[in-house]
Amino acid sequence: MAIAIRPYTEDLIPAVKAFNGRLACGGVAPEFHFPESNIPYWLRKADGRRIYQEYYLAVDSDFVRGGFILKYQDVFLNGEMRPVVYYHLPVSEGIVNKAYASVGVHLLRSALRMQPMLFALGMGGFDRPLPQMLKAMGWSLCAVPFYFKVHHPARVLGEIGPLRQGAGWRGLADLAAYTGTGWLGIKLVNFMRSRSAPRGLSAERINGFGLWADDLWRRCREHYRMIAVRDRDTLNVLYPADEKFLCIKISVGSGVVGWAVVLDTQMHNNKYFGNLRVGSIVDCLAAPENAAAVIQAATRLLEDCGVDVIVSNESHAAWCDALGSAGFFRAQSNYIFAASKSLAEVLAPFGTSRDQIFLNRGDGDGPVNL
Amino acid sequence: MNSPLFERVRGIAADVLQVSGNEITAQSSTENVETWDSLHHLNLVLAFEQEFGVQFEPEEIDQMNSVQRIVAVLAHKLNHHS
Repeated sequence: MAIAIRPYTEDLIPAVKAFNGRLACGGVAPEFHFPESNIPYWLRKADGRRIYQEYYLAVDSDFVRGGFILKYQDVFLNGEMRPVVYYHLPVSEGIVNKAYASVGVHLLRSALRMQPMLFALGMGGFDRPLPQMLKAMGWSLCAVPFYFKVHHPARVLGEIGPLRQGAGWRGLADLAAYTGTGWLGIKLVNFMRSRSAPRGLSAERINGFGLWADDLWRRCREHYRMIAVRDRDTLNVLYPADEKFLCIKISVGSGVVGWAVVLDTQMHNNKYFGNLRVGSIVDCLAAPENAAAVIQAATRLLEDCGVDVIVSNESHAAWCDALGSAGFFRAQSNYIFAASKSLAEVLAPFGTSRDQIFLNRGDGDGPVNL
Repeated sequence: MNSPLFERVRGIAADVLQVSGNEITAQSSTENVETWDSLHHLNLVLAFEQEFGVQFEPEEIDQMNSVQRIVAVLAHKLNHHS
């Protein structure tokens, strides 16, 4: 076995299809199969574009034994712009055939050799294989807090997955939804936790990000220990006007203080949300002192749309406070941030800097499940 | 195979793979040791790097799928370093 890491080229597509076939035979779910096109479906490389993805494969003569994706994006880190790369969808034949148990380590070591400043995000919880592997390799890990706010309590109590895991909880949730006690309880808590909006707050729906977004980016980035570039060009690539994203510009008085990108998604038999209509605050930007205004505006937009529940992940302390002030509850998060040794050294001490880092669902592989 | 290097490898492998030392032979591999999965492979690599003060290249890691091969990779690496 002599495995080499190679960029994914068109001639390797049949080998990737065969690789995915072996994964499927081993019971691996389709979301963990490798893309069957060498051209990224999202963020493909283009002239002048500073945010793009590249696919790499572990090739063993005519066979593909694994692969990974690198997403390149400039990051404002400790006051300067640096390339920090997102490592995702590492998949190895080792998960279905122990003869290839070494491939997972090979993939990760190869990615690190190419890009020492790596991070991973999401991953489904600390107990999953990838975070365990990263932890063993000395990466620094933390959970990005998860928040939710219930807007239609009766529907949420009847549908939401985690609340309905056990028979006792399921019965209680049904009873609360049926009798209206759940509705009353959640409305009361929301009322008590929500603070009034700042005076002069206004939000405007936008179709694309203009020059004002560059100005806002330059004013805001210094406030964060680490934040991926959110300038006009990047935002117009990430959130094209013709797609499903709802984008708003938030002002207080006559000054632009921030923006938010939200999604309003009707779920269908989703394992967490059942058939709820889920609003998500995907991405946003403001200086920390204006985080509350942005969260309140995004929340109001989603509530006006008629969603049942609103969810968000935010890492920075000011944004967590803003979500709490807007009536959101914090729950256990399976959205994990992992920094390679080189990146963690720049962020040292990681235990302190982790809540000064700006991460949300706009980072990593974006709002893929929302 | 009963060199001092093999004995050290055997001890570390038994410890990491959570099997008794006499279950580890030169022929022990990912295919016949039940606990030798991806995560244990990583732990083996890290344990050998720490014990012998070396760093394996990704290509070397691929070769290390049996005790015999681990000994060979280590012997080559240690001779190269000395």
